[in-house]
Amino acid sequence: MTEEAIAVEGLTKVFHVPFHRKAIVAVRDLNLRVGPGEVYGLLGPNGSGKSTTLKIILGLVSPTHGRTKIFGRDSSLVESREAVGFLPENPYFYRFLTGEETLRFFGKLCRLTGSRLNDRVRELLELVGLTNARDQRLSTYSKGMLQRIGLAQALVNEPKLVVLDEPTGGVDPAGSRAIRNIIADLRQRGITVLLSSHLLTQVQEICDRVGILARGVLVREGHLEELIAIENRTELVLENASDALMKEIEKLAANSNAKLVERRRSTTTLERLFLDATKRNDETEMSKPEEMTKSE
Amino acid sequence: MDSSHRLFSFQRILAIAANTLTELTRQKVFYVLLIFALVLIGSSVFMARFSFQQEFQIMKDISLGAMSIFSSLLAIVATARLIPQDVDDRTIYTILAKAVPRFEYLLGKLLGVLLLLAISVVLMSALFIVVLYVREQTVVSETLRQMSRAPREQMDNALNAVRAAGLNIDILAGVAVIYLKACLLAALTLFVSTFATTNIFTVVVMVFVYFIGHLQSTAREYWLEQQTTGWLTRAFLALVALIFPDLQAFNLVDEIVAGVAIPLALLANTALLGIFYIGIYTLAATFVFYGKEL
Repeated sequence: MTEEAIAVEGLTKVFHVPFHRKAIVAVRDLNLRVGPGEVYGLLGPNGSGKSTTLKIILGLVSPTHGRTKIFGRDSSLVESREAVGFLPENPYFYRFLTGEETLRFFGKLCRLTGSRLNDRVRELLELVGLTNARDQRLSTYSKGMLQRIGLAQALVNEPKLVVLDEPTGGVDPAGSRAIRNIIADLRQRGITVLLSSHLLTQVQEICDRVGILARGVLVREGHLEELIAIENRTELVLENASDALMKEIEKLAANSNAKLVERRRSTTTLERLFLDATKRNDETEMSKPEEMTKSE
Repeated sequence: MDSSHRLFSFQRILAIAANTLTELTRQKVFYVLLIFALVLIGSSVFMARFSFQQEFQIMKDISLGAMSIFSSLLAIVATARLIPQDVDDRTIYTILAKAVPRFEYLLGKLLGVLLLLAISVVLMSALFIVVLYVREQTVVSETLRQMSRAPREQMDNALNAVRAAGLNIDILAGVAVIYLKACLLAALTLFVSTFATTNIFTVVVMVFVYFIGHLQSTAREYWLEQQTTGWLTRAFLALVALIFPDLQAFNLVDEIVAGVAIPLALLANTALLGIFYIGIYTLAATFVFYGKEL
């Protein structure tokens, strides 16, 4: 039997407010399973318990009740994080380090040395499109660049599980697209990804399964296609369809007791339009002077 | 990738220590040393009018005193911000979400500060020793010139007096104890910062600890000399001594200025006391940090 990448059983987290007889239930009796190689999206509004759940899975916060496991090992054990990478929400990292120094630091924490460390740092800088900015200090990086160096540090130990908290939050469409492409690449390589996000369209594009949290409770969960499918409706997308053909289809539908609900012209996405219009390329962005990239 | 996890990795600790040292040096904390240099050079100019014994005594007094204050200040200010800053920037999550035990993170941070303090104390001592050596050589040359016609024995006595008042090995003992005190303060600051919510809180607590630590031995001696000292007072004094380090025990400046030789036993006892305090505070910091929700 294949071991689950993440197993959360009966997880409850209560935060007690000091000097007040008040307790906040951040997560309530949560059960969650993420299979190996899966891209799982944890959705929910602010304060729904997404970040707390991720932190408990990573052993940064202890659960009030229940348990979490990573590849069969209890999250409270340090060794459970041996094959894990994490990108927190809005990270800043060490602003006094350059991009390359940052990856070297995290590589050394994973006990990489010598040529293995050098090769890994070079590969990751290429992967996230920051090769030209490798010697710039992080204090000069834009928000998108910080997210990408954050993603690179999460991958430095070649993890089997990557946990991403709002990976595209605050990033422009081009940066966001680059991050989603990297996540898609991780899926192709069989790496499990658990991500939390507010950006539903993006989650829809990259996740295999999603769970929706509301006030600490998992209210919906399942495969994305099953969750969002409308049982009794079917879509057809035709190219070069003549008016005569359309009328024929409508007539056929009417004859078989089906109803044409909507007829509209196909559109591109706003994101696609934006990317085509701006034609921005990450490497071009990196080669700009510091003040230009910082003001992004 | 090495998949076997090691419960203790000196490489990880060194990586965090080196990073902490880089962080502190790039934040220009060494500017403190510039102030030290100005104090030292300024005081040497001012003291040119005294006799050489007075000049050397005052120079040692001011330099070792300044070194003690600057290294203590550096230890508190540099350490206080390390953990809160990592939490604010969320860097702590990325570090501890890897297979890095919390005690290694703390040890790395502490080691980084201790390295910074070592560099600072070595640089300040080097500057002090060079200035004192130059002044001593100047006084030796002047003595030789003034006593060129005096009997050999008289000249030797005069030169010995100059050398006895100038550089001697006890200065290094004093510097070592100053470093130990700064290390102790860094360990205690790290402990306070594990439960503090802001840097300001940590710095304010440490300023109180600094003063209580320096005054407690005097207060203890005064109270214990009173005939009416009850068990409650004694228990309170014992508690204060346990919680707050006796920083006066790390002050050998008076002996060095007075030219009193520092016994090896005293130095060893002070070193052991310092290491004991550093160990206790680091353990306490680890204990609190393990229970901390990030």
